[in-house]
Amino acid sequence: MLRFISRRLLVMIPMVLLISVIVFFVIQLPPGDFMSSYIAKMEASNEVFDQNTIARMRAQYGLDQPWYVQYAKWIAGILTRGDFGYSFSYNRPVWDVLSQRMGTTLAISLTTMAFTYLFSIPAGIYSAVKQYSFGDYLLSVIGFLGMGTPNFLFAIILMVISYNWFGDPMLGLVSQQFVNQPMSWAKLLDILKHMIIPVIVIGTANTCGLIRTMRSQLLDEISRPYVLTARAKGLSEKRILYKYCVRAALNPIASTIGWSLTSIFTGSTISAIVMNLPTQGPLLHQALLNQDMYLAGSWLLLMTVMILLGTILSDILLAWLDPRIRYVKAR
Amino acid sequence: MRKLTLLLLSVLLVCLASLAAAELKEAPMLAELVAAGTLPPVEERMPVEADILVVEPEDEIGQYGGALQLAWKGSNDRWWAGKMTEEPLFRFKPDGSGVEPNVAKGYDVNEDATVFTIYLREGMRWSDGMPFTARDVLFYWDHLLTKETFGKSIYECYYSIDPDTGEKALASFELVDDYTFRVTHKYPSAQFLERVAIDNKWLFAPAHFHEKVLAEFIGEEEALDVAAEWGFNDIASLGKYTGYYYWTFQQIPTLRAWVASNDHEAQKFVMMRNPYYFKTDTAGNQLPYLDQLDFNKIQDDSHIELGVLSGDVDMAVFGVDKFTILKENEQKGGYRVLNYGSTDWTSFSIQLNQTVKDDNLRALFRDIRFREALSIAVDREEFVNLVYDGLVDPIQISIPEGLVNYQEGWAQRWAQYDPQKAADLLDEIGLPWDAAKEYRNNPDGSELTLTIHYGSNTLNDMGTELLKKYFNEVGLNVNLKVLDGALWNEMKYNNELEIAVETIACFNVTLRPETVVPVRVLTPWQGHYGEWVATGGASGVEPEGDVVKILDAWKLVSSARTQEELDRLGDEIIKVFAENNWVIGYAGPAPKLAVFDARLINVPEHVIYADEFRDLGHARPFQFSFK
Repeated sequence: MLRFISRRLLVMIPMVLLISVIVFFVIQLPPGDFMSSYIAKMEASNEVFDQNTIARMRAQYGLDQPWYVQYAKWIAGILTRGDFGYSFSYNRPVWDVLSQRMGTTLAISLTTMAFTYLFSIPAGIYSAVKQYSFGDYLLSVIGFLGMGTPNFLFAIILMVISYNWFGDPMLGLVSQQFVNQPMSWAKLLDILKHMIIPVIVIGTANTCGLIRTMRSQLLDEISRPYVLTARAKGLSEKRILYKYCVRAALNPIASTIGWSLTSIFTGSTISAIVMNLPTQGPLLHQALLNQDMYLAGSWLLLMTVMILLGTILSDILLAWLDPRIRYVKAR
Repeated sequence: MRKLTLLLLSVLLVCLASLAAAELKEAPMLAELVAAGTLPPVEERMPVEADILVVEPEDEIGQYGGALQLAWKGSNDRWWAGKMTEEPLFRFKPDGSGVEPNVAKGYDVNEDATVFTIYLREGMRWSDGMPFTARDVLFYWDHLLTKETFGKSIYECYYSIDPDTGEKALASFELVDDYTFRVTHKYPSAQFLERVAIDNKWLFAPAHFHEKVLAEFIGEEEALDVAAEWGFNDIASLGKYTGYYYWTFQQIPTLRAWVASNDHEAQKFVMMRNPYYFKTDTAGNQLPYLDQLDFNKIQDDSHIELGVLSGDVDMAVFGVDKFTILKENEQKGGYRVLNYGSTDWTSFSIQLNQTVKDDNLRALFRDIRFREALSIAVDREEFVNLVYDGLVDPIQISIPEGLVNYQEGWAQRWAQYDPQKAADLLDEIGLPWDAAKEYRNNPDGSELTLTIHYGSNTLNDMGTELLKKYFNEVGLNVNLKVLDGALWNEMKYNNELEIAVETIACFNVTLRPETVVPVRVLTPWQGHYGEWVATGGASGVEPEGDVVKILDAWKLVSSARTQEELDRLGDEIIKVFAENNWVIGYAGPAPKLAVFDARLINVPEHVIYADEFRDLGHARPFQFSFK
């Protein structure tokens, strides 16, 4: 097992490097660079630039060099000093910018993930066991609606409802009067209130998919001959269900858990913009629009690492969950 | 020697009169600090009695307190916070006619308009309590501006021009005493103060602060450390953000009514009242009335609208396309929508790049008959009804009545819908039909396609689609191309835009010429003429035809001595521009919709919303107050 993990980790290194080159190259592809988008923005506020100033600023940021030179500098900084470069539009180191939003991002994502799994797995089991009952139909309808509605649209609908009923579209993560205030019960309550829509919106998309997967997997398992054998041998229904069927049915969910590591960050970009959430998604969106390439590059690099780590994690989880996979690996 | 201006006298008189009547009062939050001994008393914080700037509130004496809730997108929106709090040396009068002293107390100017003696306010202080003196002005000039510490070339307003040779001469600054400095030009510069009020509003910087961060004073290495401490990568960035975009940094003292109090990247950036602010109302209350400005971070412009509707945003400015939704919810949202004027000449126009690279297109764009054809091929009545719900007039681009250089009849020029005549004009130019008789070709028989470049938004999307329809009807094949801001700029500087959808705004061509006079690359119709002028002919496209007339007149502007002369030259330039109509307008100018919380008082019913006047700063937010 250890050898397997370490080998996978080693293979990750060239993989990450290769992806980082591609990422950096792609970020550079659109015409223009950070300066042209910066000047466009500032000119919209009537700030005046002359050609000399623009050339000087390009040189200052190293934008006058070819992309591979910029890439080499950037990657060297990461490898030697752990320096992810400098965000042009925020005017501070990339790492500072990323970490500023890490807390809120983790809070929202982890709550959403907890909501997703805690709700969808039991719901899936219930629909499978009580197949064609009223509860099953209800969950299926909700499930299909949730899967079929785009997140951001769902967010807008909930915001409109909230605005019409409570006069507040619940933008952001906390009401204006609590921002910059120390934590208090009132603030916590306010945050929880604001979390409802994001958690429902971001949560449902995954939840509904998971319910469906869980349901069909479990239905498959329940009709297997080993279940019949177990029953014939007198095992209790509960034990059959939880010890054997559910464990086997969790297989596809475990193999996708690796991806949800990245969805902690990306899964909700558009919804986060719609709901004005201070999370990482909108940050990447802005960085790409502004051609703030070191910020965007570092962000995507992190994402790559996250996906690769997640995949390994999934493999380990699977091996742990399913003895059959373990045996194949050991051979 | 001209005497002190009448205006200065009147300001002084108001000062004296009011001070005789009342003593200074301050906000409760500051009185507390004074009582606790952490802040000096208000008399010691403000300029000497005679030098305090007394402001007559718009409606009534206000109440202290309250936080104004605003929305912004973070530090890239720095101008939004910057303009509304700006304290220039001289500011434009409410009606926009000339300037009046603001940070400065007054000025003298000699008859030749070459020597300007500018007086400051005795006892005035920076927001950290240090004295503000003429030294700070000289420091700015010597160490920030002329050394280009913050990465901008020396502003045009500091150059005077020899009327005979066109030679440019840089002004010189000298310190007279603590509260007086003198600017001397080699050649007359009649509009110097107005031009400073536009180019370089803040002709001063806190010397005691910059001496602690500039490489010049503390050495390169030390400065790099300071830069790193502030989160900057290099000294140039440090210079740019401390010397130019300084108002969002809490460490930097300013003269503004509110000063930064926390990190501008925070979820809520707060500007708190400046205890050393130099203005009072007529009852002797130190301004501002509002305790603080809260800039709440948003991800998308639509959140401003939402914030206004739900009462979370107290002040915002919108385009005319939001008219219906704002008006519908005015009662429910608890706000007022005011129509502020603008200096726009049109709200939808296309600009034909006069230096476009393609030879066929260039010949066509320079042909006045072609521009007339494009203008009259469009039914403006239908256009404004569909795109603007009829909220603007169906007229040609033109200077709105009431602004300088208004031209009688320009608004109606080529504004009548006449597709037949348009087609005739195109025939006359010699654009033959293709074999299928669907579209016209170039005179040499090659395929002719007009490319319209535009930035995507609701109005532009609709407007360009309509233009395409009208142009197709007279046989012109049109290709619509959406560009994002960065690409737009890239193409503009590379002379690659063809027909660009962009409006023209200008309140006085002699003061802010760029949109009409090609002085550098900025306005699409001028293409690379501006490059030629800015580089002295080293690159770009040499101006020809009527553009030369404009440039010739512009050369005389800088050396003009009297206002009459300036007005005449301005008129001359505008006449040439109007005759040529390089920019074709399809919808008249629209007001800006300024939205204020209904509880806010002292908000002027109407001002001109323009960059030269500092947008909302022109409404004087320092005397806004909550009821």
